[in-house]
Amino acid sequence: MVITYQWITAILGIVIAGSILFLVRRDHLHGPYAVWWLLVALITIVLGIWPKLVDGLIYALGVAYPPVLLLVFAQGFTLVKILTMDIERSKQERNLRRLAQQMAIMESLIEDYQQAENNTGKQV
Amino acid sequence: MFQTDAMEYQSDSTLPLIIIPAFNEAKTIASVILDIRERYQYPVLVVNDLSIDDTALVARDAGAIVLNLRVQLGAWGATQTGVRYALRKGYTGVLTLDADGQHEPEYIVGMLEQLGDGNDIVIGAYIERCSKARHLARLYFKLLTGLQIEDVTSGFRAYNFRAMQIIASAQATLLDYQDIGVLLLCRRGGLQILELQTPMNLRRSGHSRVFSSWWVVMRYMLQTSILCFSQIGLRKTVQVR
Repeated sequence: MVITYQWITAILGIVIAGSILFLVRRDHLHGPYAVWWLLVALITIVLGIWPKLVDGLIYALGVAYPPVLLLVFAQGFTLVKILTMDIERSKQERNLRRLAQQMAIMESLIEDYQQAENNTGKQV
Repeated sequence: MFQTDAMEYQSDSTLPLIIIPAFNEAKTIASVILDIRERYQYPVLVVNDLSIDDTALVARDAGAIVLNLRVQLGAWGATQTGVRYALRKGYTGVLTLDADGQHEPEYIVGMLEQLGDGNDIVIGAYIERCSKARHLARLYFKLLTGLQIEDVTSGFRAYNFRAMQIIASAQATLLDYQDIGVLLLCRRGGLQILELQTPMNLRRSGHSRVFSSWWVVMRYMLQTSILCFSQIGLRKTVQVR
């Protein structure tokens, strides 16, 4: 049973890593995000194959049921990731709004110039 | 420090720019623009916030300069677009009003006079219009922010060059409403804000974009409360170049 659990986790990690590489290859995932997810995949593979690696930490913290600690860590990292995503989204929203404003202004300026050009053309 | 859009060249005009953010206001916008143009020499700018009616066309026919946003930014986003345009064009003052005709153009000159009198922002306020629930909401925000302003939601405002620089900054871009967030930012910039009583026209057409339903009101209250809480202790920390 233990071996099955280990292998399932390791395979999951490999599938994540493969998917990330596929997404980067297809240009669906931007560089920095790929690094994060590959790291997640790597940790999943390593802990899947050698779950005993975190045992030291588990005993040091006195956790009665080891898998819980991993889940807590996973949850914590997921929260951090989602929060950073929202921060990033806010930044993008600001940039998008400023660009939309800039574009409306530029369009109007171009019209001004075109009109000025037409007027001088008529005078000649 | 604020990054501004102000250009190096100076405008040949000392007139302020009148900014009207508009979303589907084809029915009323022409009369608002014509009313202003009859009384004053001020250029009028309409920022069309992705209307699906003829707002842009009607506004242009009435003699306004029209900016067309390609992404809907809401009333504040549209207003900020106008302020950035004004800075780009070298204007040193702006006045904003709603497109639905609720603000009386006859008060514009009085507001601009006060602007020259050492005030950075002049709010054309109308206090009597609100219901009990609204009055309570006002009291709540007044306590929360410490702003001594009765009509924080009024879109009838005049800004001088200093205020324009602050409200055009990237820091003001993520605000979703033009009221408290903008005023708090201006207070942090050490700006002098004056409220002037300006009796209001009953809305000729359209309805409030900010308070269209209870759900929207709740969201507004929550979002603005969070903003107020996050700003506690941030007084006068913003500097204007």
